[in-house]
Amino acid sequence: MNIIEVKNVSFAYNEEKQGLKDVNFSIDKGEWIAILGHNGSGKSTLAKSLVGLLEPQQGEIYIDSVKLTEETAFNLRKKVGIVFQNPDNQFVGVTVKDDIAFGMENLCVPRETMLERIDFFAEKVGMKEYLDKQPSNLSGGQKQRVAIAGILAMRSDILIFDEATSMLDPYTKNDLISYMKLLNKEGFTVIMITHDVNEAILADRIMIMNHGTISAFDKTETILKQKELFIKSHLELPMALKIANEVKNNKIRNSLWEYVLKM
Amino acid sequence: MNSIIIGQYIPGKGFFYKLDPRTKILSILFLMISVFLLENITQLAIAIGIAIIILIIGKISILKVLKGLKPIFVLLIFTFIFQVALNSEGAILSSALLHFNIFSVLTSIVIFIIWRLLLQIGKFKILLFFIFVLALYFNFRYLSIGQEFYSFRLTIYEKGVEMSIFVVLRLLIIITLTTILTLTTKPTDLTQGMESLMHPLKKIGFNSEDFALIISISLRYIPTIFDEAQKIMAAQASRGADFSEGKLKDKMKQIISLLVPMFIIAFIRSEELADAMESRNFVPGEKRTRINILRFSMIDVYSAVFITLCFIGTILLRVMT
Amino acid sequence: MGIRFKNVTHEYPSYSKKTYKAIQGINLNIGTDDEYIALIGHTGSGKSTLAKHMNALIFPTLGEVEIFGNNIKSKRDKNINYNNIRKRVGLVFQFPEYQLFEETVEKDIMFGPMNFKKSEEEAKKLALEAIHLVGLDETYLKRNPFNLSGGEKKRVSIAGILAIDPEILVLDEPTSGLDPEGKQTLMDLFSDIHKKTGKSIIIITHDMDLVYRYFKRVVVMKDGRISFDGTPDELFKSDIIEENHLDLPNTIKVLSYIKDKFNLDINIYQKIAEEAVQEINRVMEYE
Repeated sequence: MNIIEVKNVSFAYNEEKQGLKDVNFSIDKGEWIAILGHNGSGKSTLAKSLVGLLEPQQGEIYIDSVKLTEETAFNLRKKVGIVFQNPDNQFVGVTVKDDIAFGMENLCVPRETMLERIDFFAEKVGMKEYLDKQPSNLSGGQKQRVAIAGILAMRSDILIFDEATSMLDPYTKNDLISYMKLLNKEGFTVIMITHDVNEAILADRIMIMNHGTISAFDKTETILKQKELFIKSHLELPMALKIANEVKNNKIRNSLWEYVLKM
Repeated sequence: MNSIIIGQYIPGKGFFYKLDPRTKILSILFLMISVFLLENITQLAIAIGIAIIILIIGKISILKVLKGLKPIFVLLIFTFIFQVALNSEGAILSSALLHFNIFSVLTSIVIFIIWRLLLQIGKFKILLFFIFVLALYFNFRYLSIGQEFYSFRLTIYEKGVEMSIFVVLRLLIIITLTTILTLTTKPTDLTQGMESLMHPLKKIGFNSEDFALIISISLRYIPTIFDEAQKIMAAQASRGADFSEGKLKDKMKQIISLLVPMFIIAFIRSEELADAMESRNFVPGEKRTRINILRFSMIDVYSAVFITLCFIGTILLRVMT
Repeated sequence: MGIRFKNVTHEYPSYSKKTYKAIQGINLNIGTDDEYIALIGHTGSGKSTLAKHMNALIFPTLGEVEIFGNNIKSKRDKNINYNNIRKRVGLVFQFPEYQLFEETVEKDIMFGPMNFKKSEEEAKKLALEAIHLVGLDETYLKRNPFNLSGGEKKRVSIAGILAIDPEILVLDEPTSGLDPEGKQTLMDLFSDIHKKTGKSIIIITHDMDLVYRYFKRVVVMKDGRISFDGTPDELFKSDIIEENHLDLPNTIKVLSYIKDKFNLDINIYQKIAEEAVQEINRVMEYE
């Protein structure tokens, strides 16, 4: 069941900067997709297009079978929630409670319902004790968790993480990724944009982007086998695979692959 | 860095904290008008008396209020002196001839130096200031030795003293009123109160909701911006930008090295924030429900009644006298 | 000489009247030359606070920091030229956005040297050298720093400190946000500088692979104190890693997995992928 369909999408910022070139793909409900690519490959442009922040000059985007246009953007945005890279530049509220409420306020959710959802989702992301805290007293990881609670409260079922962990330290990164795993298990469609392969291998399918085009979009295992593609895309293979690609013994090579895919 | 509080909001208990911000804003407004309608010291004194009683009932520490007056203390002194000097009505209370000659000028400089030295102790600054002024007074009044190049008659009239006390007291009341407002109201509640009161302006095209949102987002970023300024200064100081020394030209460069990154970061922030808000279905001008709502309670009703009575009372007082 | 921390504690004043001890009881010696130190620890362990003492940006609350013979204590000493210390100990912060401000890359790199009284011509020369050192060519000099990519900005900010020619270099996460090539270029650059000039280099990082591959000495911080000061090998062979919520380098993790699964007599302490491969191949030849 296609929840996102992108057909022949192109977007140029200006004459020199081409964001996306004839991009085509579809994503099924409940999938976990990783979009990998170097800086400037078009990953963020794609993310913004999916939530209607950028309008492609060519092509169409369908969310849940509805075409994304200026008129439909408001309704379709309810279904897609996006967490951006900088924890500070998306925290709108004066307190955690206010920030989680922000999206719901925009959707005119009645106050009683807002209070219920705030409690529920704050608990879910482990921020219930922090409801009255101000963002200046929170860490980056905590702010990102609040952002997640905010989009869950809007009842989005497609979650896009646009390099949401890149400004966090490794420990907190893992923390946030475990939330993504949890949400995906619960049935949310997760699109994770990253330049870290070790994060990407958690996904069902990996999309590799290069200079605005999709170089490959396939099952994780298939993608990882394409050594040349990784080199061309300025990406680094996980350590276990770097080793696996050079060891002579087959048994060891296979178990190294197991190691990577189980991670 | 914990939040910087505008006008020094200090959390507390007491009925002032329970009042709706709208009641407080309107009450302060009407009370200020009332104060300006009063005409003599006796009326003011009664007003102050009532104010003190209210403060005590509301459990507001008078000490905290007085602390809030510290910054304008010098202003009050100047107002007082100004009024005394200018007013020439009524009976003469005191008349002093001030002598300006070489000796009195020299000793005044000595007195000044002694005052500055004593200030280093750090304590009793206000007391020392008064002693300083008195010393100067006695110096110029009584030290008439040698050739005088100037003399000045300082006359203090009865009405002058009265007027200056009146003006100072009035100023004190006004400032106390606003201090109470900012002391007991969170900045966000204040913003929301004003947003609600300005709602009628929507008819002339001013959207108070969007305006209030802008204000509260700005408030939310104050500590963040402060932190960033620190980080920028640290980065530039590591490159030798010494923010305390240097020629004017160097100082200019250093200030630019602080301001440019701050502006750039602010631009990037506003772009990213706008994206985030839009992706969460924010549309400027559209109707929104609110998580924080203002609700009137009986306290607000009692206060409103009380304030109205005071206001009417002062108008009547004015009309009848 | 170099930098010596003598029982240093730094307290930040806190709004709630309880002061916050960012670092406490720090005793640490950093030589003027030949040191290549990785400073690691969880967020909030005090790494940044420690780094800021090294160029006298902040002063200790208790104890003293001796930098090139100058004793930095909590009170300002009129006889010490603190600004001069920053010429000798260069500190590069993590985010270039807090540092870049000039219209051109060249002018921005020149800012540091000129603050330290270099003439315009000298500063221009230094800028040219510095931009090459960080792996960018001259064409970058006339460009606007704000039009550069994240990785390029990072390198320009590092060039800005290299141009000052400090004797000790301290860098906070210089490779974060860079792609694999960028990381390698920079780490090779630092190794180069260290080998050619013998300058001491201290790098704050979270990347255990880099720590194992490049560094001679690792200082681990936890909750404001130093919990380990030794070689990377000693660190990864000890329990400290677990106690401090730190990660192991990927080579060790992968080799441990193979060792356990196949019950092999492998030396898991290999620093790079190539060495790990060699070790596995070597052991498997006898199996």
